[in-house]
Amino acid sequence: MIDGTFTELNDPGAAAAPGSSASELLRIVGLEKRFGSGPLVLGGVDVAVRPGELLVVLGANGSGKSTLLRCAVRLLQPDAGQVWLCGQDLATLNGKQLRDARRQAAMIFQQIQLVRRRTALENVAFGALGRLSTRKSLAPRLFPKELRNEAARSLERVGLAHKANDRADRLSGGQAQRVAVARALCQRAAVVLADEPVASLDPQASDAVLTLLRDIAHVERLGVVCVLHQPDLARRYADRLVGILNGLIVFDRRPGDVEGAEIDRLYVGEPDDE
Amino acid sequence: MTSEPLTIGPVATTRRSRGWRIVIRVLIGAGIVALYAQAWIKTEISVSALVTGWHGMLDIIKRSVPPSTDVLGDALRQSVVTFDTALWGATFGVFLSLLLTPFAARNIAPNRFMYEFARVIIGIARSIPDLIFALIFVTAVGLGPFPGVLALTVGTVGTLGKLFAEAIEDMDMGPVDALRVAGASKTQVFLHAVMPGVLPTFVSLVLYRLDYNVRSGLVLGFVGAGGIGFMIFNSMQLFQYQQVFTELLVVLAMVLIVERLSTVLRGRIV
Repeated sequence: MIDGTFTELNDPGAAAAPGSSASELLRIVGLEKRFGSGPLVLGGVDVAVRPGELLVVLGANGSGKSTLLRCAVRLLQPDAGQVWLCGQDLATLNGKQLRDARRQAAMIFQQIQLVRRRTALENVAFGALGRLSTRKSLAPRLFPKELRNEAARSLERVGLAHKANDRADRLSGGQAQRVAVARALCQRAAVVLADEPVASLDPQASDAVLTLLRDIAHVERLGVVCVLHQPDLARRYADRLVGILNGLIVFDRRPGDVEGAEIDRLYVGEPDDE
Repeated sequence: MTSEPLTIGPVATTRRSRGWRIVIRVLIGAGIVALYAQAWIKTEISVSALVTGWHGMLDIIKRSVPPSTDVLGDALRQSVVTFDTALWGATFGVFLSLLLTPFAARNIAPNRFMYEFARVIIGIARSIPDLIFALIFVTAVGLGPFPGVLALTVGTVGTLGKLFAEAIEDMDMGPVDALRVAGASKTQVFLHAVMPGVLPTFVSLVLYRLDYNVRSGLVLGFVGAGGIGFMIFNSMQLFQYQQVFTELLVVLAMVLIVERLSTVLRGRIV
């Protein structure tokens, strides 16, 4: 499976020494991951994200896209390689330090990720839990006023101020994803990792979510990594396209420089299982 | 082309093992019949005993009407004691279960050791019947409803500890992962992602267990743990079937009321 045809490398500007470049928010070097004794899901992945950039990762089911994002925040433990998040090597950290470092990255998932029985505003405020003491965070009612205000501003930023007091399970899929983006803002994350955020949305809602993700990259200068399944959407919104095939990066370029055939090749012989 | 080996493979193995499969099915069938046969013999099931015993039952029923009215007041008071026993047993039990649950759910347990430890405690509480615990506690703290409360506490931990943990293991991990990445501590994740997610399930489990505790508390009375069960036991011993009838009617009313209440509460909260 892993052969020598994937020689294409990252763009040369990103090839600085690990962790040294201040212009990179997230840098992944030689990341490898396998589950149990199975085949390598990620076979040495190098990728970097800079501020103000929306990077879209394309790949077939089972190509390792989601695993890459999960390894990047150590929801999964990589087998080899390094993850530099805002200049810190996550592998060397544990406990409180890891929690503090990880706070720089926010994650947006495909499936239900909001706490259903809480309001949109409370869900947004949950992004700030990492900065709150246990005592102040025992119940949403005890959250400080400033945090509520910040959460309200974040909701406003994603255009959902009017939904602040609606319970999360009353929101539509697109609204829920935008609340998740607001949560990332309230978390004050530098990097946002979105794992197929529009997979279950209709085209209109997909556009709204992707526009928002692109805006927070361009306007708020966050680094956004977004795993997508739809090549046309990827081309439309990405600042940079990364293609993954069998756990290896096969291209990493601006969308205009990626040929249709290269993208098609990612989906040939797509395995049935994720 | 690629699908060819896929279809040939399974079909071939099916043909080869069809004979074996029939043999295995016959063996399983024979095993089940043997199991039932030995159970029939061991339990001394006897139709003739049922027929002759019928008269005895009719006799008891005849002797229990009309229900005695002079124990009604006592029966009502004692049924309240049984409910109180169930209530405190459930409350203490829920509290202890909630303390154990974060360790007993595999997906959020801090480490393997704590997980196994919590599971062993819950396993012990569950595998020993409430009645045995009641006997032990009656010996330890004396007759009365208090040993019943203790026994039901342990019993509640046994079931709720397990069911709470399973509810958490089955829950959607999306919010948990999202908060974890946001840098939330384990306590914060538990309070804000886990608990709201499982609360409806927990409430309905707790109400079910309260309901169960009322019925179980009744039986615990038979071994001296107070309440209306103890009353029924005494009336039975004295062959006061008219009293027993009254007491059973009170029990029926209590169980129905508690059941109704828990259904209404569940509808409200969930």
